[in-house]
Amino acid sequence: MSADSGKELRIVGFLCNWCSYGGADTAGVGRFQQPTDLRIIRVPCSGRVDPLFVLKSLVNGADGVLVSGCHPRDCHYSEGNYYARRRLEVLKRFLPVLGIDTRRFEYTWVSASEGQKWKTVVEKFTEGIHELGPAPVIDATMIAKAQILAATAL
Amino acid sequence: MQYLNELKEKIKENLPELDMVVGWEQGFDSLRASPLFMRTEDDVDKMIWGPLCVHNLATYLPSLKGKKVGVVVKGCDSRSVIQLLQEKLIKRDDIMVFGLPCTGVVSLRKIQDNLGSLDYIESTEVDGDSLNITVDGTNHAFKLEDVAANKCSRCQYHNALLSDVFIGDPITEEAEDEYTDVDEFEDMSLEDRMAFWVSNMSRCVSCYACRNACPMCVCRDHCVAQSRDPHWITQEDTVQNKWFFQMIHSMHLAGRCTECGECERACPVGLPLLLLKRKMNKEIKELFAYKAGTLIDAKTPLLSFKVEEDNINERGW
Amino acid sequence: MKIGVFVCHCGSNIAGTVDVVKVAEEARKLPDVAFASDTMYACSEPGQDGIINAIKDLDLDGVVVASCTPRMHEPTFRKTLERAGLNRYMFEMANIREHVSWVGKDKEANTKKALDLVAMAVAKLTQGKALISKKFDINKRVLVIGGGVAGIQAALDCADGGLDVILVEKTTSIGGKMSKLDKTFPTVDCSSCILGPKMVDVAQHPNITLYAASEVEKIDGYVGNYQVAITKKATYVDWDACTGCGLCMEKCPSKKSTDYFNEEVGTTTAINILFPQAIPKKASIDADFCIKLIKDKCGICAKVCPTNAIQYDQQDEIVTEPVGAIIVATGYDLFDYTKYGEYGGGRYPDVITSMQYERLLSASGPTGGHVKRPSDGKEPKTIVFIQCVGSRDKSIGRPYCSGFCCMYTAKQAILTKDHMPDSQSYVFYMDIRAPGKLYDEFIRRAMEEYGTQYVRGRVSMLYPKNGSLVVRGADTLLGKQVEIEADLVVLAVGAESAVGASKLAEKLRISYDNYGFYMESHPKLRPVETNTAGVFLAGSCQGPKDIPQSVGQGSAAAAKVLVLFSKDQLESDPQVSVVDIKRCVGCGKCIETCPFGAIEEIDFRGMTKSNVIETICQGCGICTSTCPQGAIQLQNFTDNQILAEVNVLCQQTLEKSFE
Ligand SMILES: Cc1cc2nc3c(=O)[nH]c(=O)nc-3n(C[C@H](O)[C@H](O)[C@H](O)COP(=O)(O)OP(=O)(O)OC[C@H]3O[C@@H](n4cnc5c(N)ncnc54)[C@H](O)[C@@H]3O)c2cc1C
Ligand code: SF4
Ligand code: SF4
Ligand code: SF4
Ligand code: SF4
Repeated sequence: MSADSGKELRIVGFLCNWCSYGGADTAGVGRFQQPTDLRIIRVPCSGRVDPLFVLKSLVNGADGVLVSGCHPRDCHYSEGNYYARRRLEVLKRFLPVLGIDTRRFEYTWVSASEGQKWKTVVEKFTEGIHELGPAPVIDATMIAKAQILAATAL
Repeated sequence: MQYLNELKEKIKENLPELDMVVGWEQGFDSLRASPLFMRTEDDVDKMIWGPLCVHNLATYLPSLKGKKVGVVVKGCDSRSVIQLLQEKLIKRDDIMVFGLPCTGVVSLRKIQDNLGSLDYIESTEVDGDSLNITVDGTNHAFKLEDVAANKCSRCQYHNALLSDVFIGDPITEEAEDEYTDVDEFEDMSLEDRMAFWVSNMSRCVSCYACRNACPMCVCRDHCVAQSRDPHWITQEDTVQNKWFFQMIHSMHLAGRCTECGECERACPVGLPLLLLKRKMNKEIKELFAYKAGTLIDAKTPLLSFKVEEDNINERGW
Repeated sequence: MKIGVFVCHCGSNIAGTVDVVKVAEEARKLPDVAFASDTMYACSEPGQDGIINAIKDLDLDGVVVASCTPRMHEPTFRKTLERAGLNRYMFEMANIREHVSWVGKDKEANTKKALDLVAMAVAKLTQGKALISKKFDINKRVLVIGGGVAGIQAALDCADGGLDVILVEKTTSIGGKMSKLDKTFPTVDCSSCILGPKMVDVAQHPNITLYAASEVEKIDGYVGNYQVAITKKATYVDWDACTGCGLCMEKCPSKKSTDYFNEEVGTTTAINILFPQAIPKKASIDADFCIKLIKDKCGICAKVCPTNAIQYDQQDEIVTEPVGAIIVATGYDLFDYTKYGEYGGGRYPDVITSMQYERLLSASGPTGGHVKRPSDGKEPKTIVFIQCVGSRDKSIGRPYCSGFCCMYTAKQAILTKDHMPDSQSYVFYMDIRAPGKLYDEFIRRAMEEYGTQYVRGRVSMLYPKNGSLVVRGADTLLGKQVEIEADLVVLAVGAESAVGASKLAEKLRISYDNYGFYMESHPKLRPVETNTAGVFLAGSCQGPKDIPQSVGQGSAAAAKVLVLFSKDQLESDPQVSVVDIKRCVGCGKCIETCPFGAIEEIDFRGMTKSNVIETICQGCGICTSTCPQGAIQLQNFTDNQILAEVNVLCQQTLEKSFE
C-alpha cells in the first residue's frame, strides 16, 4: 500500500482513553496490521481535545491530524463527545480560510471493541494523507515566496 | 452630531447614579477620537458623536466590573455588550446603556491610504454624508461611504440592540450579510490562501493590540498568548507562532465574536484579522443558526450541544 | 529532571518487530533522560525490581516504561514507583506493543515509531508533577436497585455484613422473575420454596429498608457520598396501615384489571396484592382500572378495609437517602415475540410465552397448576416449544444468546410430562447450550427419560387448523420438512434489557451496550464493577443470566461493597481539574460544560472564581478545553503535558527526531 512504501508522513492522533484508545488496543491484540505513520496521544475524553491542539500540530508540521472518541451516546463522561463534535466540526470548516486542506484533519468515533474499524480508519486516513503528500513547510523559503506572491498580487 | 445635545443631557441626568460614563472625545487631532471617561458634567461637555467615533467602548466594561458604568454604544458595539452580558462577564444591574443609531464610522486606514499620511491634520469636518479634511492647508473632500469601515457597508444592526436610553430615530435595517468577502477569499487556491497569511503574519509585531482592543478578550493579563502555563506559544519569533495566535484568537472567539472589527482597526500594521473571525462566524451561523451578541439569554453554541445535531453530517468511515 | 526509561521486550511480543535495544540507546540521548535500558518483562518481579533499583541508585525523578497499553499495566507500574518512594504520577507509558509491534511488521518503521512514543512520554513527564490524593469519609450505606433474586441476595449479604441497605423495587413486591417461576432447573425444586424464605429475610432484616413501588429519580454525588432521590409511587393504600388481609381484593368489583404478575393469563382486581407471598404483602390500586379513581364512583375498598388504609388522594412522594455505594440489579425483560410474523404475531391465543407457561404450571397460578390452554381451557396433549424466539437473530437486532432458554425449555418439557403423563412435547431448537453443572445431564433427562422430541431447526410458519395449530419447520438433521399439530405452542422468548435500563444508566453515569445491558469494567477481570466508582452490577442487568449466576453475582457485588467499605476513608483520584485562581476570571464557562456539576462558583476576596470539587470531578477535561485562558487544568492531562507531546511530533522534521 502507498502508505507503507513511501516515506512516512507525520500523522498525529488524539484518542480518548475509554473508547478509541481501547479500540486501537483491540486492533493490536487482533494483530490488525496498519500503516506506521500515526502517533497516538492519549487523552481522557474527546472533549479534552481543544481544537487548538489540532491547529498547533498542523501549523507546526503535521501532515494529518485525526481525533477519535466514543460514539455519540457512549461517552464515558456522557457528554464529552457532544462538545467535541461541535468544536471539531467548526474547526474542520475553519481550515479552508487558513489555506489548510480540510482533508488533513478528520474526527471519528471508534469504540473499544471496534478493532477492525480502527484499522480501517487508520488505513483510510493514512492513505488519504499520502495522496495529499507532505503539508507545505513554513520555512524561510516559503515566507520569502509568499511575500513575493503577495507583493505581485497587489 | 444631530443627537449629541440630547445625549449629553441624558448622560448628565443619569450621572449622579453612575460612577462614570464612557463616551468619545476628540483625540490628539480633529480626525481622531479617543475614549472619554465622564465623571462630571464638565467631562460630559467634552463629548463628541459622529462617524469619527470608531472605538467600541464596550471593551472597557469588563475591566470596570464592580462599578456602576454608563456606556455609549453604536449598533455594533451594543452586540458586544449583549455578548458580555450573556457570558456573565458584566452585570446588567451595573451598567447603563446609552444607545444610538449609527450610519457608519470611518476607516482611518482608508483615509490614510488616500492622504498618504495622517500626521498633519489641521481640521476635520463632517457635513451630511461628506467628510472634509484639511491637511497642510489643502482641503480633501471625501464621501463618507467611500471611507467608511468595511463592517458598516454590511451592517445589519445600525440601531443599538440593547439600550436603557435610546437617543435619536431608529434607522431602518436593510443590509444582508452573505459573507461574500469570505467566499471571495476562498475562491483563491489553498496555496495562495496560505501564502496570504504567511506573508501577512510575517509582518505581525506581536504587540497584541488586536487582543487588547477585542471586547471579548477579557483574559488580558492572563491571555494564553503570553503565559508559560499553559504554554501554547513559544518564545521564538516565528511566523507560525504569530499565525497560531490568530488561530487562538479566532477559536476563543468562536460563537462569541460580534464583528466590531476592533482587532483589525487596532493592528498597527493593518493585518486583515477580521476575515478569520468572519469565516468562523459564517460557519457558526451555518451550523447552529447562531449570531453572537444578539440575545442575552442564548447559549454560545460551543458551550452547548444537541444529541442529534441538525447540521453536522458526520462522515462515515 | 532525571528520568529513567525502560523498554520492554515483552518476550518476543515487542522485541520481535521493534529493535528495543536501539530504542533504549536512542532514548538515552533525549533531554532529561538519565537512564535507559531494555528489559525482558518490565511487569515481572525482576523487571519491577530493576525499575526500583534504578530509581534508588540514580535518584530518578520519574519513570517511562515503553511496553504494553497503559490500560493494562499503568496501575502496576504506578505501584512500583510508590514502592521505590516516588510519587505514582511521575510515570508515563509508551504503548509500543498494541500500538506498534503488534500492528506493523516493518522493524525499522516500528523502531522509529517506538522511539517517537518514548520521546513523547518523556516530554509529557517533564511537564508532569507529583499528585497527592485527598482522603474523605465514606457513608457506609448501600443502595440496591431491583429486588429480583440478584438484588435480594446482594441486599441480604450486605445487611448480614453489617451495612445499612436501601432496597428499591419498581413493582409492588420484590422477587423479580424468579417469583413467577414454577420450578427451577436443574434440580426442579419449587421456585417460591427457595425464594420465599429469602424474601421474608429481606422483610425482617433490621438493616434493610425496603422501598417497593419505588424508583430512583436522581443520583447526585460520588463514591462514598451519593445522595439518592427515590420516588415512592402512589399506591393509594397507606402501607403502614394495610395488614395484607385481602378483604379489599375480595370485594373489588373491577375484576378485569391487567394481571401483570400472571403475565396476563387471566385478570385480577383493581386493588390487589401482587401475589400471595408478596413482600411487602400490601395492597395497591391500579389507577388504570379503579372505578373510584377513574369515575369517582365505587369506593368499596375504603368501606371494607378494616384498618382504613385506603387513600384515594395519595400522591407520589420523594425521599432522599444518602448512601456510599450502589448495586444495580434491575434484571431483564422479555422479548416481544409479536415482532415475528411466523409465530402469528400475537393473533393465536394458544401461542404463549414461556413465562406465561410458567404461570400455567404453577400451583399458585391462575389455573391452580392445571395446564389449560387459553382458547378453550382444554388440557393440551401435544405441546410444541420453540426456542430462540428473539435470541441469536441478527435480523431483529438480537444477535446474542439469552443463555437460559435451552435450560428452562427442557425444564418445562419435563414438568409438562409430570403434569400430564400422556402428553407429548416437541422442542424446536438451533443448538443446545447447557454448559452448567448438571445442565447437560438435565437436557438428556428431558430427552431420554421424559421422551421429549428435539427437532433441530427453525419454525417457518404456524397456522390454526381444526382447533389446533400446525407448526411447520425444517428438521435440519434429517434434512426434511416436519409438521406437527400442536394443541399449545410455547415460545422460549429471549431476554432483553429491562425497560428503562438506559435511562437509569444515565442517572448512574454507567455505560450500556447496544442492547441496553450494563457494561462491566472488564469483561473478564472486573465483572461486577462498572467504570463509575462505587456502582456495581448484579444479575441479568449486565446480560442474561440464570439464577445460580445471578445469585453468585449478587454475592460478588455485596463483597465488593464490603471491601470498599472496609476502610473508613477513601482516597480521591488526584487526576482532577484544578483552577488557577489567579488566572480564572469567573466567567463560569467551565461550570456550564462540566457534565458532572463538579465545579462551583466561589467568592475569592470579593471576586467570583471557579472551584473544582475534587471528589465529584471525574477527570474528563472538558472544562480544560473550554476555558479560554487555560485557568482550569486537568491534572496529568494539562495543556502543557499534551503540548509537550505535540511538540515532540510537530516541531521537528521527521529526520531530526531520529538522528
Ligand atoms: C420462562 C423463564 C423460566 C426460567 N426458569 C429458570 C430456572 O428454572 N432456573 C434458573 O436458574 N433461571 C431461570 N430463568 C432465569 C431467571 O428468571 C433469571 O436468572 C433471574 O430472574 C434473574 O434475576 P435478576 O434478579 O437478575 O433479575 P429479575 O428477576 O429480572 O429482577 C429484576 C428486578 O428489578 C426490578 N427492576 C427493574 N427495573 C427497575 C428499576 N428501574 N428500579 C427498581 N427496580 C427495578 C424488577 O421489577 C425486578 O423485580 C428463567 C427465565 C424465564 C424467562
Ligand atoms: S486570545 Fe483567548 S486567551 Fe487571549 S485574551 Fe483573547 S480570549 Fe483570552
Ligand atoms: S495587532 Fe496586529 S501586529 Fe499586533 S499582535 Fe495583533 S496582528 Fe500582530
Ligand atoms: S472557564 Fe476558566 S476563567 Fe471561566 S470560570 Fe472556568 S476556570 Fe475561570
Ligand atoms: S475535568 Fe470534567 S468532571 Fe472534572 S471539573 Fe472538568 S469538566 Fe468537570
